[in-house]
Amino acid sequence: MGYGDVQMIDENGNRVDGRKAGDIRPIEIELGVVPVADGSASMRWGTNYVIASVYGPMEAHPRKIQRQERAVLDVRYNMAPFSTTDRFRPGFNRRSREISKVTSDALESVVLLELYPRSKIRVEIEVICAEAGTRCVGLTAASLALADAGIPMTDMVVSVASGKINGIVVCDLNKEEDNYGAADLPMGVLPNTGELVFLQMDGDLSPSEFQEAWDYNMEAALKIHVIMKEAIANKYGGGQ
Amino acid sequence: MAQPLVPELLRAHLAELASRDQRADGRGRWEGRELSLEVGVLDRAEGSARVRMGDTIVFCGVKFQIQTPYPDRPNEGGIMTSAELRPGAGRHIEPGPPSPESIEMSRVVDRGIRESGCIDTKDLCIIPGEKVWQVIIDCFAISDDGNLFDAFGLAAIAALHNATLPGERFDIGEDRKFPVNKTPIMCSYQKVGGRFVYDSNREEEVGGDERIHITLGEGDHVHSLQKGLKGVFTASEFVEIMEAAKVRCAELRKLVDSM
Repeated sequence: MGYGDVQMIDENGNRVDGRKAGDIRPIEIELGVVPVADGSASMRWGTNYVIASVYGPMEAHPRKIQRQERAVLDVRYNMAPFSTTDRFRPGFNRRSREISKVTSDALESVVLLELYPRSKIRVEIEVICAEAGTRCVGLTAASLALADAGIPMTDMVVSVASGKINGIVVCDLNKEEDNYGAADLPMGVLPNTGELVFLQMDGDLSPSEFQEAWDYNMEAALKIHVIMKEAIANKYGGGQ
Repeated sequence: MAQPLVPELLRAHLAELASRDQRADGRGRWEGRELSLEVGVLDRAEGSARVRMGDTIVFCGVKFQIQTPYPDRPNEGGIMTSAELRPGAGRHIEPGPPSPESIEMSRVVDRGIRESGCIDTKDLCIIPGEKVWQVIIDCFAISDDGNLFDAFGLAAIAALHNATLPGERFDIGEDRKFPVNKTPIMCSYQKVGGRFVYDSNREEEVGGDERIHITLGEGDHVHSLQKGLKGVFTASEFVEIMEAAKVRCAELRKLVDSM
């Protein structure tokens, strides 16, 4: 079966899981889930379950990786072997390397690396259960773990994707929708400024569909940011 | 990476505590850390468990695949165990290919399960000589504060008891409960400050010596043993920890069987 062969949205605009086009899946955040890490966060987003942990700032070794004027970020995205329907063969592959790199590029744009010259900050993203949009969950969870570690950032990163199914643009595709989706637009948004630090896209979107997907992402990012701030306030107190 | 001075101070501290029959975190010699066990926690795995022992947290997921049986055992399925020590689980864990430590862990967990006979590999036959199930037990560390061996062992047997054979997904009949008819339990002991203690934490691992892993099944049958790390031990020391293991394994077996 190809694109559009399966009806994923009914005549009332309800999606397979009952959401409307612009709705996101339920999100639950917990901070400090890895007791031995300097900072950590877990995100349950739909049936996605991702744990991010942060170590550092610590001495960067070997010395050749040190930067005199700033810290280096060492970001790894990894999928657990039991995170997918068919067992995922452990080890780094090209997909996880690329996601690690773009995640690192996004986080480097917000972390105040110049505060920690010659040091290293390790960010480890573990996908425990994958549904759809794990790179977005990973990036968002990583920014929460960095906040939990007390590492200064200019802003949080909220990442979310919109896509197209049955010719209709919808926000935050779930697994069934992703299998038949005709486009995917993941973005990483800085909620306080509306700037972007992460952007990918594949598929086929008309200019108006593209605009619609973009707007859904921006709107969803603000909603998710509220949930993130609540989680941080729950642990550390303070205002929103 | 090794910092010889600090472990020497730590060793001296642990030895001093041991001489007064104490441990760094106030536990008794055969006392485990606070333990929690949950099953069915992973949506994509056919069986799963999460174990927390103090600040050590692990997941185990059981997955099934179809494979061709070995020619000399045409009607028997396969068992495979892996243990991943991801760098996210501790600052002492380096990224890279599986370390000798993680391979040792997976093999010790594997032996306890395999040799206990809790899985009858003939139950895994679909078409003799052609198609059999392969059970894959993936152990995954989230937070390593010591004694991953026992956490993996407990999570693995609990996840197996929780597992469902996904017949429908592979077009071979209905889903059915995966038959696991025994509950082998591993208990690990490490020599810290000159005497063996149960369930060493990370501090005790760093400042300790050799470990002994014992897997016991029903009726205290021994299914696997492993001595790890540098150090010597006597027959009477072994008898002592074997007696402690019999008590602890029975407690943990009751916990797993009650899930």
